[in-house]
Amino acid sequence: MTVRLSKRYGFAASHRLHSAAMTDEQNRETYGKCNNPHGHGHNYEVELTVCGTVDPVTGRVVDPGLLDALAEKQILAPFRYRNLNEEFAVFRTVVPTTENLGLELDRRLREAWPETFASGGPRLEKVRIWETDRNICEITGIE
Amino acid sequence: MLISKKVEFSASHICRSTQLTDVENERVYGAAANPLGHGHNYVVEVAIEGDPDPVTGMILDLKRLREILEDRVLNVYDHRLLNREVEPFDRLVPTVENIAIDIWNRVAPCVDGRARLYSVKVHETSDLSVEYRGGA
Repeated sequence: MTVRLSKRYGFAASHRLHSAAMTDEQNRETYGKCNNPHGHGHNYEVELTVCGTVDPVTGRVVDPGLLDALAEKQILAPFRYRNLNEEFAVFRTVVPTTENLGLELDRRLREAWPETFASGGPRLEKVRIWETDRNICEITGIE
Repeated sequence: MLISKKVEFSASHICRSTQLTDVENERVYGAAANPLGHGHNYVVEVAIEGDPDPVTGMILDLKRLREILEDRVLNVYDHRLLNREVEPFDRLVPTVENIAIDIWNRVAPCVDGRARLYSVKVHETSDLSVEYRGGA
């Protein structure tokens, strides 16, 4: 039986949306308040959706302890209370929008997935990231 | 087109498999293996797929859906100890995965006409949910 299990986690971080490829005026127009040179922060929430078959003995699709440990190691510990622009090499060249942050979280999870879960085990189907209650980005279709 | 409806029930369960040792049960299920049980306020979200009826504008009469969920889910699950009082949990561990599959099996045959059950999503806590869309 294929089921999808979703677990939600949170971390707080700061960022500034500013692209070196645009003028200051264009940046202000594009990003509005998010372009404030001093930066600002969010309580981000991340939901990981794992897809797989239910183990007939345990009744589980994934060991939640392994998923929690993977999330902690790959995303929560590195991102908790950090400045995204200043403390991550990727965001020196890529603007840390919710979209790009979601892609980076997805990449970090997939990087450590094979060493955490056996092949044929659960696969990562979706990463959703909430910047605020009303601003949500969903990453799917990356294998 | 999908239409979703949510209902809630409260129930207790014990996550232990008779096929595992006590040590293995503690390792696999952690605090949920407590043999005395514990409980949750479960939220069940069912999504129904279909095209709106050209006359009524409805995929499925929501009163009918509410009746199905009351009859097939709430009357069975609400304020129960799942391991003792709800089949098939006399032989299956009542993990949130197995609960979602069981609710699908109870609801799917009742959804008829132009509609079909698309998914059952069960939230065990605010940060943990499982979705089952039927099939293998």
